[in-house]
Amino acid sequence: MNSGYPRWAPYVLIAPFLAVFVTFMAYPMLYSLVLAVQQTYGPKASRFVFLDNFAYLLTDPLFWRAVRNTFVFAAGSVLIQLPLSLGLAMLLNHNKVKGRIFFRLIFFSPALVGTVFIAVMFGLMFSRDGLINFSLHGLFSVFDPEFPWLERFVMGSLILAALWQFVGFNMIYFLAALQNVSKELSEAAMVDGAGPWPRFMNVTVPAIRPIASFVVLLSLIGSFQLFELAWVLLNNSGGPDDQGLTVVMYLYQKGFISFDLGYASAIGWVLAALLMVFAVIQRRVSLMDED
Amino acid sequence: MLKWLRQFDLPVSRESLSVGGWLICALAVASSLGVLAWPISRHEGLQMWIFSKPHGEMYDTAIERWNQSNTPEINLSLLSNEAMQQRMLAGFLSDTPSADLIEVERNFIPQVFTGPIEDVGFVDLTGRIKAEGIYDQINKPSFAPWSSRGRIFGLPHDVHPMMLAYRADVFEAAGIDLPSVRTWDEFAQVVRPLVGDRNGNDTTDYIISMWASGGFRDQLEALILQAGGALFDESGRMKIDTEVNARVLATLASWMVGPDRIAVDAPEFDATGNKMRLDGRVLVALMPDWLCGVWQSNIPRLSGKLKLMPLPAWEPGGRRTSVWGGAMIGITKTTNDPEGAWKVAKHLYLSEVLAEELFVTNGIISPVKSYWDRDFYDVPSDYFSGQPVGRMYIDLAPDIPIRTSSPFNTQAKDRVANALYRVKEYALKTGRHTPEELMDRAHLELQKAERIVKRQVEQNVFLRSEP
Repeated sequence: MNSGYPRWAPYVLIAPFLAVFVTFMAYPMLYSLVLAVQQTYGPKASRFVFLDNFAYLLTDPLFWRAVRNTFVFAAGSVLIQLPLSLGLAMLLNHNKVKGRIFFRLIFFSPALVGTVFIAVMFGLMFSRDGLINFSLHGLFSVFDPEFPWLERFVMGSLILAALWQFVGFNMIYFLAALQNVSKELSEAAMVDGAGPWPRFMNVTVPAIRPIASFVVLLSLIGSFQLFELAWVLLNNSGGPDDQGLTVVMYLYQKGFISFDLGYASAIGWVLAALLMVFAVIQRRVSLMDED
Repeated sequence: MLKWLRQFDLPVSRESLSVGGWLICALAVASSLGVLAWPISRHEGLQMWIFSKPHGEMYDTAIERWNQSNTPEINLSLLSNEAMQQRMLAGFLSDTPSADLIEVERNFIPQVFTGPIEDVGFVDLTGRIKAEGIYDQINKPSFAPWSSRGRIFGLPHDVHPMMLAYRADVFEAAGIDLPSVRTWDEFAQVVRPLVGDRNGNDTTDYIISMWASGGFRDQLEALILQAGGALFDESGRMKIDTEVNARVLATLASWMVGPDRIAVDAPEFDATGNKMRLDGRVLVALMPDWLCGVWQSNIPRLSGKLKLMPLPAWEPGGRRTSVWGGAMIGITKTTNDPEGAWKVAKHLYLSEVLAEELFVTNGIISPVKSYWDRDFYDVPSDYFSGQPVGRMYIDLAPDIPIRTSSPFNTQAKDRVANALYRVKEYALKTGRHTPEELMDRAHLELQKAERIVKRQVEQNVFLRSEP
């Protein structure tokens, strides 16, 4: 069939996308695989080390420290942030709550603020003479007015800062998901004598599960990519005793401070593998739901 | 354009896009052409990057004078340390031009030496420095940080001996004769009576600015060097877990917790730290010569209240100074004019006029030993209660310890600072506060630190394969 276009027209049309995709995605990804089996000093000097980078990584205490910290942060994000987001969404989904639109805007607005700005702001708040100590000492005079939050409560500080930033963002997903909850079903359950908790577990949760599992996956991926917030909040380091060292921060240190792009690539691939595992689990859970 | 598109039989007409769409296309074409036509600014002469604003203020006039009657012309750019490090290393590692001359701070030089020696982005100046007699003119320890595998890659900017700055008004009012103190143990005992709520604001005020954090790593290294310890020996072999290093860590940790605590976190270059100094919440600080200039600029209200004294020694008769900080000027391999760059580097770093300006504006003493007898170093400082600060630093300069230039020095310093933090936390948790009680723990933490750095050293195939 003759469409009236030259045969090469489709290729020309997809050429801009292909050029960008190959240059900025496919080639760097493939090249990072090549780098992962080399030790490099920048792009100029490199030696083939085969799987040495991966072998070193398995026994690298700093890498495992970073993995542990990242898991703790991810767990904190998922287990604290998401229930809170869901709670807020349910509250703001309720017809009886006045000023719902205003509160939606208020809770969502931190997501519009830059991460670096949030890190600087929380850094000031958690400093020894910051707002947190000032307020707590004002409320409870026994509280140490110079409590070193960023020494003793590093991961907690990071989780709190991320909570402030993203709780409203995730709330929006849950608000959308709650639109799927069948009012008829909920009312029928109520007529049958089901209380709020059974209604929540048996009507609301099944309805929002697909979106909830997607939000969990997004949060996990976001948590595993934690970098700017921790890097700025902890003054360009992993913090005291590497309590805030994350996988991506370690990757950055190795790749762009030590300039060992090979080892950094190996870290990147392990991180990608971890994220793939989460994605597969999420997919399985979604399929189970559909079944 | 429409005509051009129509030749490909594409169904393009005025109606194919909305007015906004055509406007976006037109803007895209116009801006692309604009970018292509934009002239790239090129400076004549040599480009020089520096990281320090006070250095820049001094160089501005010097360079203006130079440019009036000398060639090549110098163009100075002030960059933040991090930005300079990224741009410098990106240029070195990809063989793309950066500046002709770069002034680098000591903490950013180990990365330059991490790879093969032939890939160091600075010109090897060893031959020039020795042939022109500069090697003998300059204080030897000043070359160490800029040397790798026996080669020298930069002219040293400074010596940076350290003293102790103390609030003379407070100590004298309390009847404490601090300058008579000879050792750190004695220091800790003598100052302890001043620990307490000195300001009546319901908080305990301590004495010395010192803390187990990443920001303290340079001072920690300085104290280790002063004690006779080191992180690497002169041949680059690691020696982190040593008796001397453990003693320093255990002693410092004992100052940070418990009933004998005298140390407090009053960070340098920080508003909180400066306020604590102004309020008298911290009375003593480690003070290299360059920091005198910073304090005079940042905390002018302390003028006349401070005095300097040599550092207390770690043992009777021991070393009374150490070294913290430092910079060098190096010529990049990508420069088109290495001879011109060398001429400029020598002018900026070795001339007597600039040595005087360096001291007057920044408080830094020149590494050129022949200038050390000049009168300008004897001028009393109002800021430091009339003391001849320059002369005091020069008296200590020959005693500064030699520092390592190991490519792994930054990692080692980070790990040792981390070890100090862990010893301090251990003291806090167990209630063991004396240096003797903390020695075993200090060794344990230093062993861990050494293992981590050793693995990083062993992993580096470039250094492993070199003699």
